[in-house]
Amino acid sequence: MLWHKAWLETRSRFLIGLALLVCSAGAMVLTYPKVQELLKTVPSMDLGGALGAKVREGALLASTYRGYVWSQWYGQNVLQLWTIFAVILGSGGLLSQMSGGGGLFTLSLPVSRRELLTVRAAAGLAELLLLAVVPSLVIPLLSPGIGQSYGLGDSLVHAICLFVARAVFFCLSFLLSTVFSDIWRPLLFALLAAGILGLAEQFVAGLSRYSVIGAMSAERYFRGGGLPWPGLLASVALSAAMLCGAAVNLARRDF
Amino acid sequence: MADPLVIETAGLRKQYDGVEALRGLDLQVPKGSIHGFLGRNGAGKTTTIKVLLGMVRPTAGEARVFGLPAGTEQASVGIRRRTGFVSDDKELYNYLTVGEMIRFTAAFFPRWRTDLEERYLRAFELPPDRKVKALSRGMRTKLALLLALARGAELLILDEPTSGLDPAMTEEVLQALVTHVGREEMTVFFSSHQIAEVDQIADRVAIVDHGRVVVAGALDEVRERYCRIQFVFDGDAPAAAFRAPGVERVRRKGRVLTVLSSAGSAAIVEEARAMAPASIDVIPVTLKEIFLETVVADDEAEARTSERVSRANGTGHGAPVSGRAGEFEGQSPSSR
Repeated sequence: MLWHKAWLETRSRFLIGLALLVCSAGAMVLTYPKVQELLKTVPSMDLGGALGAKVREGALLASTYRGYVWSQWYGQNVLQLWTIFAVILGSGGLLSQMSGGGGLFTLSLPVSRRELLTVRAAAGLAELLLLAVVPSLVIPLLSPGIGQSYGLGDSLVHAICLFVARAVFFCLSFLLSTVFSDIWRPLLFALLAAGILGLAEQFVAGLSRYSVIGAMSAERYFRGGGLPWPGLLASVALSAAMLCGAAVNLARRDF
Repeated sequence: MADPLVIETAGLRKQYDGVEALRGLDLQVPKGSIHGFLGRNGAGKTTTIKVLLGMVRPTAGEARVFGLPAGTEQASVGIRRRTGFVSDDKELYNYLTVGEMIRFTAAFFPRWRTDLEERYLRAFELPPDRKVKALSRGMRTKLALLLALARGAELLILDEPTSGLDPAMTEEVLQALVTHVGREEMTVFFSSHQIAEVDQIADRVAIVDHGRVVVAGALDEVRERYCRIQFVFDGDAPAAAFRAPGVERVRRKGRVLTVLSSAGSAAIVEEARAMAPASIDVIPVTLKEIFLETVVADDEAEARTSERVSRANGTGHGAPVSGRAGEFEGQSPSSR
């Protein structure tokens, strides 16, 4: 029943996220023929400097379908969308339900706080996993429709990397939800943290090996260098630490 | 042999950010009683209930329910399994219907009483398909009560069960409660600031003020124990300091000296004879009067003492003082 409750409380956020991501994945696949047309014009462009380099790099990546999918889907804009939904799914919970959400009723049930927290975290992580896997599976499924193919294995590997790294922001939002009683501050601070981490990883050289953002895009895997293990392990460790922090926080809290 | 205690607290303290909500609360609720927990807003009623249900950790002292320590997580789950609870806010899950809310709650209680669920659904005229968010406050209270009663609980803890209800709805809820307790073997512990409500259904009472229990016992016994003794003198009443036990409050106004006693009248009357009063009257007091004398009068005394202190200090505003009520019309309470 707690699982059912967790599902009911997060289903609208999850379903909106799923619909948006599936549509984005579908649109990304279906626009590839148009991109191919545009690519023919790139050699005639006379662009210098950083912008020119970016355009040429994008064109080079998009010259193969696999490169196009990685650069457009796993390496770029969709990452932000995923982060936002990870943070949204992590926010809320018992503390925010204390005013008008039946928080006291929940606490009067013969269930430990740890169990309440575990079920909510597990339900949220399961939804996050689906948000990573289902849209990723849309790509190999739709690709034959435009005369292309994309490996199912590639899709799953990228989806798992996305999930593991995104879980960091879910867990951060989850932890902050055991500190603040409204839903806005956890959202805001977690998104702020994601932005700061993204910037820090660009400017602090030592971080790139354990980069959460790097693990998310799995660029190393895309370029044939294997899975980004340090980044994935760092993400798992960070997520676990934040979930433990949330459990400790909830256990000692007065309601 | 006395009934075993279902709820027992000893020296219970709770501090929130420097504010003491409970200051050594001692409470005993015997099995099978309907126990009213009376106090003003902010007296510590809800905090006590939250401690009993494991929602708040006490700063010091001990709270036991069914003999289990309420402060430990595992025991607290066991306590909640045997307890029905209606919170002050009556908030439930707005996104569920009445029927879903019932099914959800029933899943946590192996001793869920389907017969009671059906009975109260009918009696309270609760529409199973209506969303909780669409229910009026009265209907939500009834649903919360149904969810507590059908748990098959041995103890029912109700925090201000009738707050926000109109008189008709209040009567309906109280009647349902009394009827239920008449049929089922259970203990009820309910907080209220409605004296009439406690008078109507409780057989035991504890009055809490400033985080302490100031009056406790069987309601009949409390009513019997407490009395007001009025002495009228020929001239101005003397400033008396009684040594007899149970002197709770002394008021002196012109020729009249009034004593509130919590231990009968005999010893006080005997002692007062030495002052040669012209007449002595022993007047029974109601629960409302006991409440007002023990709770509200304490504040008056505190305010007056505080005012005197501030005047003496020349500060113009009251400073907190210890030994409250000690100077209230020249008598210190004896039995606290």
